[in-house]
Amino acid sequence: MQPLRTNLESRNAIADYIQTEFPFLENTGCLSPHVGGRKAGLERLQHFPLEKYARQRNFLDGAVSQLSPYLSRGCITLEEVRQWALQHQASHSVEKFVSELAWRAFFHLVYQDEGDRILQDLEPPKVPMRQHQTTLPDDIDRGETGIPSMDTFIRMLKETGYLHNHARMYLASYIVHFRQVHWRTGADWMYALLIDGDLASNHLSWQWVASTFSHKPYIFNRENLERYAGSVLPGDPRKDDPFNYSYEELADRLFGNDYTPASSRASGNYR
Amino acid sequence: MTALIWFNEDGLNPAHPMVQDYPTAPRIYIFDRPYLQQWQISKHRIQFIYESLLEIADIQIYQGNTVPLLRQLLEQHQATEIVTTETPNHIIKAWQHDLQSYANLVAYPEVYPVNDHSSPRRFSRYWHQHDRAWLTP
Ligand SMILES: Cc1cc2nc3c(=O)[nH]c(=O)nc-3n(C[C@H](O)[C@H](O)[C@H](O)COP(=O)(O)OP(=O)(O)OC[C@H]3O[C@@H](n4cnc5c(N)ncnc54)[C@H](O)[C@@H]3O)c2cc1C
Repeated sequence: MQPLRTNLESRNAIADYIQTEFPFLENTGCLSPHVGGRKAGLERLQHFPLEKYARQRNFLDGAVSQLSPYLSRGCITLEEVRQWALQHQASHSVEKFVSELAWRAFFHLVYQDEGDRILQDLEPPKVPMRQHQTTLPDDIDRGETGIPSMDTFIRMLKETGYLHNHARMYLASYIVHFRQVHWRTGADWMYALLIDGDLASNHLSWQWVASTFSHKPYIFNRENLERYAGSVLPGDPRKDDPFNYSYEELADRLFGNDYTPASSRASGNYR
Repeated sequence: MTALIWFNEDGLNPAHPMVQDYPTAPRIYIFDRPYLQQWQISKHRIQFIYESLLEIADIQIYQGNTVPLLRQLLEQHQATEIVTTETPNHIIKAWQHDLQSYANLVAYPEVYPVNDHSSPRRFSRYWHQHDRAWLTP
């Protein structure tokens, strides 16, 4: 029973050491920009421009806290972040941000109640889902789907261990509804890759996208993707674009006649 | 009673009250190999955890199977108590459950502004009920 080394001086030294101690790990070949530890978490909190949050949070280049690695790994606590936010003058941003923190608590509450049942459908799906495959297609895992926007999200996820909330939603929706992969398969895959991987927030969000923990499936179209993520995406070919439809057309293509979507569908917001 | 502080991956906080409450207890973290392999946990997550652990003074980091390893450590330190943090994670909860056969387990709960036991199934309902509490310092 030999303890592991604690006198490693640099992030590169830690990375090399981890690779020798855990040889089964796939070598990422790069360091994540998210440095572990409470100190780094508190620093990030101090630099987070909370006042911009409500207006920008849905945009991939907008102001979000990127605190999830620190919150999920417990380096900083939900309660201290909430108290920090409430020191600011009341505003829509403060309220919005605190309500997002509450999402985390809500998911934990459900997990506390349900235990490992959250790994299965919590409700019947609202759209046909019996044909969905339970292995992840290789092109998704490798980030070689041929759709540059989705490949960009997959690359970001693998290179950094983090993704913006809206990118997680797009990617989950693409995998479950456009590619017909079972949500659990996608959820396990993303959980493994995220530094903030948390079975409650992750698997319940996938169920929310799939419609087994919500009233309807989450889908997006080209217009929505361009509006919120356009600035960070390389641009997709317009020929055979799977996303370039109205929501009514998309629902018809993806779910057939069994499903009528609500007419308005907002971005990035859970209901 | 001699105690061990056992950190889990959802509670890597060097400033946690349990560290102050048990200032002389050995501090332990275990990378559970079967869990890492079964769930194919990525290198970035492991590196983040490692970096977080290095901020905890005198941390002892091990890898292996959590429960048998902790049993060995209990014996080695002649300890009868394990101090840790609560998490909803069912895998960690199962380890905590098993360890209760071998030691007195003290688990510090996570602090929330409200404790709801009504099992709300939609966030809108939860928020509607509790927004005031959440928005009050
Ligand atoms: C498919 C999918 C998978 C997800 N997997 C995880 C996961 O494994 N771990 C995880 O922590 N979050 C997960 N989320 C929730 C959310 O995407 C991240 O918490 C958020 O993107 C983290 O970025 P941030 O810290 O900048 O968030 P901010 O917008 O700055 O929010 C602050 C904090 O509030 C909490 N929060 C915000 N939005 C959510 C949300 N929708 N659900 C739960 N908590 C939220 C997080 O702790 C976050 O750090 C997932 C969402 C989706 C759609």
